[in-house]
Amino acid sequence: MATAFKVEPAEPVLSVQGLTTSFRVSGDWHAAVRDVSFDLAHNETLALVGESGCGKSMTALSIMGLVPKPAGRITAGRIMFEGSDLVSLDREAMRRIRGNRISMIFQEPMTSLNPVLTVGFQVAEALRYHRAMGGAEADRAALDLLEQVKIPSAARRFKDYPHQFSGGMRQRVMIAIALACRPQVLLADEPTTALDVTIQAEVLALLAELKQAYGMSMVFITHNLGVVAAIADRVAVMYAGEIVEVAAVRELFRRPRHPYTELLLRSIPRVDRHVSHLETIEGQVPSIAAMPAGCRFAPRCPLREARCDAPPPLAGAAHHVVRCWVRSEGGGHG
Amino acid sequence: MAEILLAVERLKKFFTAKRGFPNPETVTVRALDEISFMVKRGEAFGLVGESGCGKSTAGRSILRLVEPDSGRVTYAGEDILAADAARMRVLRQKMQIVFQDPYASLNPRRMIGKALAEPMLVHGLGTPTEIEERVEALLAEVGLPPDSRWRFPHEFSGGQRQRIGIARALTVGPELVVADEPVSALDVSIQSQILLLLRGLQDKHGLSFIFISHDLGVVRWFCQSIAVMYLGRIVEIGPIPGIFDEPLHPYTQMLRRSSPVPDPEIRIEPARFGGEVPSAVNPPAGCHFHTRCPHATDICRQIYPAWREVAPGRGVACHLHGS
Ligand SMILES: Nc1ncnc2c1ncn2[C@@H]1O[C@H](COP(=O)(O)OP(=O)(O)OP(=O)(O)O)[C@@H](O)[C@H]1O
Ligand SMILES: Nc1ncnc2c1ncn2[C@@H]1O[C@H](COP(=O)(O)OP(=O)(O)OP(=O)(O)O)[C@@H](O)[C@H]1O
Ligand code: SF4
Ligand SMILES: [Mg+2]
Ligand SMILES: [Mg+2]
Repeated sequence: MATAFKVEPAEPVLSVQGLTTSFRVSGDWHAAVRDVSFDLAHNETLALVGESGCGKSMTALSIMGLVPKPAGRITAGRIMFEGSDLVSLDREAMRRIRGNRISMIFQEPMTSLNPVLTVGFQVAEALRYHRAMGGAEADRAALDLLEQVKIPSAARRFKDYPHQFSGGMRQRVMIAIALACRPQVLLADEPTTALDVTIQAEVLALLAELKQAYGMSMVFITHNLGVVAAIADRVAVMYAGEIVEVAAVRELFRRPRHPYTELLLRSIPRVDRHVSHLETIEGQVPSIAAMPAGCRFAPRCPLREARCDAPPPLAGAAHHVVRCWVRSEGGGHG
Repeated sequence: MAEILLAVERLKKFFTAKRGFPNPETVTVRALDEISFMVKRGEAFGLVGESGCGKSTAGRSILRLVEPDSGRVTYAGEDILAADAARMRVLRQKMQIVFQDPYASLNPRRMIGKALAEPMLVHGLGTPTEIEERVEALLAEVGLPPDSRWRFPHEFSGGQRQRIGIARALTVGPELVVADEPVSALDVSIQSQILLLLRGLQDKHGLSFIFISHDLGVVRWFCQSIAVMYLGRIVEIGPIPGIFDEPLHPYTQMLRRSSPVPDPEIRIEPARFGGEVPSAVNPPAGCHFHTRCPHATDICRQIYPAWREVAPGRGVACHLHGS
């Protein structure tokens, strides 16, 4: 986006600082999310990408104040939103924010819609709760939302049950619920992963359109780098509970710096062209109870050196940071 | 000309199921509606299409894991559907299946060594010592440590379990492997490990594959030909990469354009459709795809388009490419 004037970066809408969320595994606490920091700008889409178990959902659930207790808890960090630290807010205050100022689309679509309540009722619920709307007024607003997420013949389907909708339509309903109170921030956790590609493309387009229309910011969680390329402005790559690289989407795909990101990008088969050599990353992600003491990627890393036995910091110029001893050297190029 | 290993002709399988709430109705699911295709020896043949289009039913019907209603399946010249139980046991050694979730098909209380030895014992493929040796060799071949024999399924990661699933399919020395979404549940870095393993097996043993996937990128990398299915029917068949570079059927085009590419300069193009996707319970009249097709005309709404071979190995069912 080229603007004529260089605008001073405004206050971030959401600022996560040093977030660490831990779980108790056979008596000991282990960090599932460790020292995660990022800022989310107004109207920005930040993708959180990484493989299964790397801590994407737990990061989002931490922001929502929904870390499963008593097995898990936030053990360090601040989450700044609209002037307060969400980590230290009491339950009641958090309840007023959740589903209202910050909304989340959860990873399992079938578990998040109630099968015995009509779709219309469920969309209207957030409005009755947070906006204290009466039944008829909430229903009107809910119908309007279902139309905005492009449910065909929304009025006729208002009183249908979730099972009467296809997976793609259910996901639109989830989006309508999440957007009901016009949140500042939408946390979308793998919102298209269960969908067929043609439907995924439609839902991604819908999310981008609504984000623009509502002036929202979005944290978009996915394990699919193709989806990242399609939707993100900026990307944070996670590995084993940590952010290992953050850059603008074009920069990340053109000049990946972390060896993990680089290998990952070269291990994806592509539909648009022939890939002669598919890269692999030997081994597997360590479990949270057996994290390497130094760089968490070291056991699988082809660039590993002696200094990698100490944990590397997230370093580099502000527009492109990387958590790697070798690759953060001479960082901060143009 | 490469030898045709498997020929599928007008294979059909309908299910009856109860659908609906609160008043369930008995419906007919037209899971496979007379599909035909051929797999050459040594080839990886991809089956792609959206959820519920009949890919798994096709794979299972070919192996008679479900009995098809009608049609013909010929394996190296032999009619599989006419084979009796004894003959079927012999054929099962030549055709194996690998599932998306090998965990579901592994007995949680059986050690991996036993699970791998069992099919060989059943088929009488060697003495106990020979079978032991073969288990060891198979574990090495799929890249698992030798001590895996003494471990249980839950002790393995998703990628390792898929290696076990592959090893188990290989125990009886098959020529054709039906791989039903073998990498769909895996992370990218593990997915590429498994794809390279399968490619290695294809090269080394001359294995043929029916490779079922919903990921066009994976199919492009692994397969030599593909069939695109929509609501129980094949709408296009062709060699790779031709079918991706120049898709003929509007549905293939839509799939191709909707598939994400790891490059922010290439934007995917969403279909401007937005409606409900019809189901195999009630496929639309005429061309099943007409409700989503940007090129649909009156004839598309009335008559199912005939199959047309446009080049050797390349065919399509669409009125745009009709007579
Ligand atoms: N209740 C729990 N008890 C112990 N560990 C847990 C619990 N829930 C999550 N974890 C651990 O937290 C880590 C992060 O999990 P999280 O769900 O955030 O991963 P994710 O990146 O969202 O993965 P996926 O792509 O599979 O959804 C995992 O390694 C997991 O083992
Ligand atoms: N045993 C069964 N009884 C009734 N219906 C069935 C049965 N097996 C499959 N079906 C139906 O047949 C259709 C085709 O199913 P199939 O599993 O072959 O699809 P698929 O292409 O493999 O889908 P996916 O990508 O989701 O695996 C679906 O509508 C499915 O619900
Ligand atoms: S036959 Fe008609 S409706 Fe079907 S794909 Fe071709 S143009 Fe579209
Ligand atoms: Mg998750
Ligand atoms: Mg299937």
